[in-house]
Amino acid sequence: MVLDASPRLDLVFHALAHPARRAIIRQLSGGERNLSELAAPLSMTFPAATKHVRVLEEARLVRRRVAGREHLCRLHAAPLKDAMLWTEQFRRNWEVRFEALDSLLDEMKSEEQPRSRRR
Amino acid sequence: MNPTLKDMQLSTPTDTTIVIARSFAAPRRLVWEAMFTPDKMRRWMLPPPGWTTTTCECDPRVGGALAVAWKSDEADPAMTLRGVFTEVVLHERAVHTETMALGSGQVIGSLVEQHEFTERGDITSMRITQTYASKEARDGAIASGMSEGMEACYKQLDAVLTG
Repeated sequence: MVLDASPRLDLVFHALAHPARRAIIRQLSGGERNLSELAAPLSMTFPAATKHVRVLEEARLVRRRVAGREHLCRLHAAPLKDAMLWTEQFRRNWEVRFEALDSLLDEMKSEEQPRSRRR
Repeated sequence: MNPTLKDMQLSTPTDTTIVIARSFAAPRRLVWEAMFTPDKMRRWMLPPPGWTTTTCECDPRVGGALAVAWKSDEADPAMTLRGVFTEVVLHERAVHTETMALGSGQVIGSLVEQHEFTERGDITSMRITQTYASKEARDGAIASGMSEGMEACYKQLDAVLTG
């Protein structure tokens, strides 16, 4: 049950769902990197790394700029903040619902009580 | 009631499932009624702030439909939830499909939701098992730090965001 997913958050979660892309985010948390630097520790080909970076770009988690022959990537953390708030929201949504259920059940119980036990 | 009994348990026993367990100080019959009766569902199936529930239908019999719709300031419907009950044992067990879609009709998630109710004394334990089509779909839906990869990732991200 996902109440407040937006298409953009879908892209963020899709981007985070792959370990290679999480590794790229970790690397970028250390600062700007070019595509070869991102590909190397992942033992990945250049095109494969490029593909993952593109998914991260689509989720607006990574921004790329071209400097001469280099493609430099840097982390753009804002969508992550939304995602983390929403993450916490999954648990909270259910907790809030269950608290509402508690009150509702109390009401339902007391509606049944008066018939058998009148004060 | 022991307050810890009301603690919600969240777990991911397999790659494609989320289990949500919670106990309630009420008989099983009432918990079932609260979960599957439309006017009761409206009381707990709370929409995000600013949204209103416009449709709420639930027929907990095999083949019976589940239909909920919400509207926002921008869209009516903003989101819909549709499903069909596939297994029902009154007051004990119910399984239904569930597809969430945006107002445009774009599907944003599908799952199968199983509810199991067990009664012990005055306490009813409800266990909801959500099964998604893939690990990605499951992770996307929950996106909490529970699966190892995600947990490590979020720890890192936390550091990034606070740093």
